[in-house]
Amino acid sequence: MSTVELTPPEAARLAARAGLVLPAERHAAVAAVANHIHGVVAVLRELDFADVPPAAAYRAGQEPHDAAV
Amino acid sequence: MQPYELPLAAAADAIRARRLSPVELVDSVLDRIEKVEPHLGAYVTVTAEQARRAASEAEHEAAHGRYRGPLHGIPMGLKDLIDVAGMATTASSRVRADHRATTDSTVAARLSEAGAVLIGKTHTHEFAFGLTTPQTRNAWDRGRVAGGSSGGSAVAVASGTATFALGTDTGGSIRVPAALNGVVGLKPTYGLVPRHGVISLSWSLDHVGPIARTVEDAALVLTALAGHDPRDPASLSVPATDYRPGAGTDLTGLRIGLPRTYYFDHVHPRVEAAVRHAIGQLEALGARLVEVDIPMTRYIQATQWGLMVPEAGAYHEGNLRTVPEQYQEDVRILLEASELMSAGDYVRAQRARTLMRAEWARLLDQVDVIAAPSVPMPAVGADEATVTWPDGAVEGVSDAYVRLCAPANITGVPALTVPVGHDSAGMPIGMQLLGRPPRRAHAPAGRPRLRADAAGSGNRHSGLSERPGRRVLAGSAIRGGGVPAKGSAAAGSDQRASRTGRPTRWSEAATSAAPSPQGSAAGTWPRSSHRRISPQSSTTPKGARVRRR
Repeated sequence: MSTVELTPPEAARLAARAGLVLPAERHAAVAAVANHIHGVVAVLRELDFADVPPAAAYRAGQEPHDAAV
Repeated sequence: MQPYELPLAAAADAIRARRLSPVELVDSVLDRIEKVEPHLGAYVTVTAEQARRAASEAEHEAAHGRYRGPLHGIPMGLKDLIDVAGMATTASSRVRADHRATTDSTVAARLSEAGAVLIGKTHTHEFAFGLTTPQTRNAWDRGRVAGGSSGGSAVAVASGTATFALGTDTGGSIRVPAALNGVVGLKPTYGLVPRHGVISLSWSLDHVGPIARTVEDAALVLTALAGHDPRDPASLSVPATDYRPGAGTDLTGLRIGLPRTYYFDHVHPRVEAAVRHAIGQLEALGARLVEVDIPMTRYIQATQWGLMVPEAGAYHEGNLRTVPEQYQEDVRILLEASELMSAGDYVRAQRARTLMRAEWARLLDQVDVIAAPSVPMPAVGADEATVTWPDGAVEGVSDAYVRLCAPANITGVPALTVPVGHDSAGMPIGMQLLGRPPRRAHAPAGRPRLRADAAGSGNRHSGLSERPGRRVLAGSAIRGGGVPAKGSAAAGSDQRASRTGRPTRWSEAATSAAPSPQGSAAGTWPRSSHRRISPQSSTTPKGARVRRR
């Protein structure tokens, strides 16, 4: 699993790229929290999802109005 | 007993019989607010005059034979994420200080139509993005956290400053504060209660539900709330359903899943003892305990974070760029960091959710309900940031409080917390019951249904289910807490609540002996009577391989 961590300047640059300009005094703290979050969610890379779709895939049209819903 | 102490059902009966007027009840609750609210901080806004007017109208209606139902004249608090026309929905944040809602949210409108009387808006951890609600103090001990994010709602119900309240639950935000304050909290099935007009934390994880003093009370509120609203894209189409439990307590044939994994890991021993004792009471009522393995446990936190953090960041994208300094620091930094997550992280979490939902559906084919602790430990001190477990593991307080609640948010299954005891310091302990979503609520032929039909045959208490077209939901056998006794924080004292006079935690129908942590030790649990099922790995879902790098 990747252990590459964002440095404070990298975090600031990525945030700016997303349209969020971070004050200089926040760069280190934001980088630390972003790295922590990344460490938590990166575990999902262990899974080989094959053809599994995301849960957000939706059903077009009206759901049937029945007692099973 | 003062009117503010009455559970909802008892107050409703008294109002219907004209033994209690809505004016008396609302005045009693407002008097209680004057006495304890300065110590507790449960409310953002108290709408006393508006409440008195509404109570007077409710009284007038009752006097002229117009009775709206069991919520007629009942005082309620609404978490301040929920729009009420003409009022600010502050989300307990400076960001929203100047907000005014122009229309009612769906839930506020439905409760108003049902006759409930708004007492005020209750505090949330800012924008529901936290588990402690620092503005509010625990109803049992002012030095401890209220829990969150619906901390104000739970403390209001526990302290007698609302007969019921609404909360929202994205990672346990109804169940955590309800458990920490000794009351009942229900996170309904995803989509059962419409969220139109409710500030979102994470669209795919958010739920609205009741906090009340008994399971029956929660069911009465759910009955008024549930039903389709096309303005919420997740809203389910369900027929009108009466969710009140019946009177019987025979659980013969009910299969209760007892987790072998996850739910009892890193759990305070007094919490484990109280929950196992409570499960033993359910077994004594006829339920069959079936050991189960919880699927994909390694990926629960990653999936929860992978969904919640980017969705919260998206919701706050605009305000984070214009008024970032108006957020509290703990929320601001999470929102800022959310901007650095990738689309891949989010889609992986959604795909993991697909797998997890399928695994949980398989699990809930094998048992009718799963019983587990609601939270790993009772309310911690307000200044505690971490908890250290006996094996030396250190866990953030918020991470610990989310841990056992998150699976029901990810999968959307209904989850109910009920009080089942206290720790050695007298702090409440909650047990969580997780059931099937309505689509899967049909009991196999030959098995007792999760809830008897109107004829009253079969089992009438079975845990938790929302079965459209029927009166559902079990657990009137499990009665909730109530108003902390004198001497508690709610009574304005520094003392912890004495056991004398504490509300009943277990119904008279379930057992005459209330479960207590002293009454059972984890080591005496009769494991030999359990049958293990679900042999597949607790961490590897079907349809996917684990790929370690």
